[in-house]
Amino acid sequence: MGLTCLALTGHAQAQTSYQSYEQRSSRLRTLASANSSLASVKSIGKSRGQRDIWLLTLSKGDAAKKPALLIVAGLEGAHLAGTETAIQMAEKMLANAGKDSIAKLLETKAIYIIPSANPDAQEQWVAKPRYARSENGLDYDNDRDGRLNEDPFEDLNGDGLITMVRVEDPTGTFIVSKDDPRVLVKADPVKGERGKYILITEGIDNDRDGKFNEDGPGGVHIDKNFTFDYPIFVDGSGDYAASEPEVRAISDFLYGSPNIFAVLTFGPNNNLSEAPKFDQSKVARRILTGPTQKDASAMEQVSKLYNSLGLKDAPAMPQTKGNFSQTAYFHAGRFSFTTPGWWAPKVEAAKDTTKKADAGAVATTPAGGGSAGAAAAGADNDDVRFLKWADREKLTDVFVDWKEIKHPDFPDKKAEVGGIAPYAKLNPPVNYLNETAEKHLKFIAGLGMQMPDVQIVNVRTESLGNGLNRITLQVVNKGLLPTYADIGDRVRWVKKVKTELFLGNGQSIVSGRKIILRNALAAGEAEEYTWLISGTGKLTIQAGCPTAGVVSTEVTLK
Amino acid sequence: MLKKIFSAALLCIGVQMAAFSQTDPDLTGMRALGTPANPKVKWAWNYYMDYAGIMKLSQELVKAYPNLVKIENIGKSTQGRDMIVLAITDYKKGNADRKPGFWIDGGIHANELQGTQFAMYTAWYLAESFGKVEFITEMLQDRIFYILPTLSPDAREQFLFKPNTANSSRSGLVALDDDGDGYVDEDGYDDLDGDGEITMMRRKSPTGRWKEDPNYPARMIPAKADEPGEYELLGIEGIDNDGDGRVNEDLPGTYDPNRDWGWGWQPDYVQNGAFYYPGTLIETRNVKNFIYNHRNIAGAQSYHNFGGMFLRGPGAEEDQGFYTQSDVAVYDLIGKQGEKMIPGYNYYVLWKDLYTVYGGEIDWLALARGIFTFSNEINTSYRLFNKKSTEGRFQNDEFNEFDKYLLFGDAYVKWKPYKHPQYGDIEIGGSKKNNVRNTPGFMLEEEGHRNMAFTLLHAYHMPKIEIAEIKSKKLPGGLTEVTATIINTRAIPTHSSHDVRYKIERPDYVTLKNAQVISGMIVDDADLNLTREQKFNPQTIEVPNIPGTLTGTGGGSNYAVKVRWIVRGSADKYTVEVDSMKGGVISKTE
Repeated sequence: MGLTCLALTGHAQAQTSYQSYEQRSSRLRTLASANSSLASVKSIGKSRGQRDIWLLTLSKGDAAKKPALLIVAGLEGAHLAGTETAIQMAEKMLANAGKDSIAKLLETKAIYIIPSANPDAQEQWVAKPRYARSENGLDYDNDRDGRLNEDPFEDLNGDGLITMVRVEDPTGTFIVSKDDPRVLVKADPVKGERGKYILITEGIDNDRDGKFNEDGPGGVHIDKNFTFDYPIFVDGSGDYAASEPEVRAISDFLYGSPNIFAVLTFGPNNNLSEAPKFDQSKVARRILTGPTQKDASAMEQVSKLYNSLGLKDAPAMPQTKGNFSQTAYFHAGRFSFTTPGWWAPKVEAAKDTTKKADAGAVATTPAGGGSAGAAAAGADNDDVRFLKWADREKLTDVFVDWKEIKHPDFPDKKAEVGGIAPYAKLNPPVNYLNETAEKHLKFIAGLGMQMPDVQIVNVRTESLGNGLNRITLQVVNKGLLPTYADIGDRVRWVKKVKTELFLGNGQSIVSGRKIILRNALAAGEAEEYTWLISGTGKLTIQAGCPTAGVVSTEVTLK
Repeated sequence: MLKKIFSAALLCIGVQMAAFSQTDPDLTGMRALGTPANPKVKWAWNYYMDYAGIMKLSQELVKAYPNLVKIENIGKSTQGRDMIVLAITDYKKGNADRKPGFWIDGGIHANELQGTQFAMYTAWYLAESFGKVEFITEMLQDRIFYILPTLSPDAREQFLFKPNTANSSRSGLVALDDDGDGYVDEDGYDDLDGDGEITMMRRKSPTGRWKEDPNYPARMIPAKADEPGEYELLGIEGIDNDGDGRVNEDLPGTYDPNRDWGWGWQPDYVQNGAFYYPGTLIETRNVKNFIYNHRNIAGAQSYHNFGGMFLRGPGAEEDQGFYTQSDVAVYDLIGKQGEKMIPGYNYYVLWKDLYTVYGGEIDWLALARGIFTFSNEINTSYRLFNKKSTEGRFQNDEFNEFDKYLLFGDAYVKWKPYKHPQYGDIEIGGSKKNNVRNTPGFMLEEEGHRNMAFTLLHAYHMPKIEIAEIKSKKLPGGLTEVTATIINTRAIPTHSSHDVRYKIERPDYVTLKNAQVISGMIVDDADLNLTREQKFNPQTIEVPNIPGTLTGTGGGSNYAVKVRWIVRGSADKYTVEVDSMKGGVISKTE
């Protein structure tokens, strides 16, 4: 215990910023070795860039035999906050392993954490120049022109960061925002606005194809490379679904771990603040595109738990094509929740804007694609909102002031480099994440309490004479959620609820089946089974499934 | 002086050859046309070879024809067998892996034996016919064939050597718990009578609704509505091995490697047979890696059985839009010719004429890689008596009639009594595993040859690029305008229109060598001087596609690609090089 505290304190002092792959790896190893009875760390595969994809397992006893939750972060490489949150949750869980709710969680459940699913991309945080990168380490011809990595970003103002360039030009379609002079927005002809600036990412058009920085180092954005709703031939999606080793490693682990009941992803998608609704038209076809009715209602229940923890004003971040979160539900058949974890709080206490479609949170920060972001106009503009919060918090280093430079592609024009610093919008200073990790740990513990709980109850044996016995019992789910997602009953790899009879010597079944499989048991649902057994002595009955736990009971026949 | 010696030498060789010709069967009436009469590698083509046979024949071909046949190991199967590709071309001419490549695979469904056989026949035939049949000689000078005899080598051995039905051992042999009881492959078929075949079980019973066909006792037919039956049918030969009240419910395999490809992939509940994600299986991953490493592959054939079809994609209705009119025109040309080449075979569209397939190999080849791909469903009941049956695929009794008169009863196991642990006194008998699907021995070589001929037609139509003309014209100011005309004399373009739309393969590069290029452009219309300038790197003009003879652009009147450079100074001759991933590399000085 003393050791644990020391390790935790030591690291808490050291860490004031997001970490490199090496720092993170040693942090995980230290955490596991300091808590060897509860935690272990192993590599489930290598990234394209040959970095380990770490899996942290937290559980008392054999994790594989317990119902489990899987937490995945860092699929979107630009999202460092999720990675940090996931690791802090693990640290808090272990630091509080003796306390009631956490102790029970670790006793009865296994928690799997993959803190950095896309380590190649995340490493750009410590690389030069720093830019928000989504793609792994595959050498890939992103713009499919036959030239490899021929048009990367260039750090034109020499500040080590990749931001944006605005160029005064008659063909420009951007203007300065009325709400914040630092921010550029699209000119709206309907409002009588005429464009003044061309807005591009920081760099030059090396291959003179009219596109800026569309093919730098890096290959596939692995959160576009999963199988559900896989987007073909778009920037970052790769050659085909699951082409990337990161995707295969994570999928192999998920599919190969039938005990995983639900998945929580930290990333720029949110289905927790507002649960997806049931839509008959989305489940009526051969290919499902929405949750089943039963699952939608379970998701609503989990969403209520999430919102009860005071995680307010989340921006709407719809699911995206080919991501892990939807694949985990639609293809692997598990409950799947996703949240950015942290977002810039609204500064004015105003009406709820959750339902409005915000511009994607990474849109105006240069990412691999290099497209100038289409920022929403007006006060709801994501950038304006973020800067307002950052000003209130007196954060420095979140904005690079516009400064004139010489741009070789615009020799006689006024060109300026500036904009929101890479990573800033999705990733607050690390000290802001303490609260995020606390709240999400509460969420996980709360979810653990609601998870299915299979029991064998009301066991009766009746002797019918001449060595013939009738056994009757009920298998019940006393949890608050079904034994597994309803969609799991369609998925071949999800294990059904099984009741199995193990006969003793000289016993035989006269009526009833040795193995009974059935679909998911809803919360509170019970099923009764009866057997006629010839013979005497002990026999064992086992019931359950990997996502809900397996229990057994012994019966003695007279 | 030199000349004289040379002709004398030639004369000498001529004399020798003439003397030799009297003993070379291929130069006598002993040669049955179209078939080597005296092959260096002797092989019988009327039985199905096993894995050892594939390896032996492959190695013998390499030994006999080291300049034509090479073996590449593309990885191991699940059970550790080497997966080999035979790379066949005239290695003395050109850069082998830059020639337009043709991919052939067989036996992805391991119970469909012919594909492997025909893939090997093609390898053998190409090697043995090079230098003897001009068409083949040119084919190997211009093209390279990559032949994977079996994509599922483990399951092929399982099918050949273990008791099976016609439909079992279709997939690989990754161990799976089919019935969800927590036990793996614990209740497969059982060869109860030990005859090496898995057939059917029947039981004499007053409550049964089946009877024997009076003409063919191996065949069971339903009793008429107004008559009693004699037998119950109890399903496929086997027992309830695990005592769960079900028979044969957890077999080896039971997934489908042909649902494991990265186009339109869907999970098992949508597409039966799918695994976790496309490329879960090592066998398909090995092939994908090979194909990505051989971007010269422009045509492909994936052999299957049964039904006599030349299938093209898409496998799913929603993908129809990806097969554009101009790409379909290529398939139509080859597919319709095929209908004449193999009587009884039909040119079909997979989803429309057969069934829906998500995540199938041919869609992946065609739509993820832009490769023109056919899949032949080998063998059809038409070939039994050379006429179309009016009955359905598995209903018609022509197979029994054919068995009686041409196979002399070899296709069926006679009913034999057996004491079954669950069913009591039963009889076991019926169709053997090689019946119906797999072509009988005496027809095998013919069907192989016809399928190969279709595939060679397909390979013939891969791009063949020529620089038709290089013209130069003096411009004022000491400049010269150089215009090159490039054509592709075959039906398949260097990029399918789907490929052009999604930029699957890089453009074709047309380079003017050794000249001071100051501007370059694509010429859309030479007569009207309509051009598009390429500002970046004008020495090498990037052409999105070099269409083939079937192109419809410009009303089909002109299928040439023209590119133009403005160069400083002038020269007598200019050298132009065309570098196309799927069309090969050529150059010309004129």
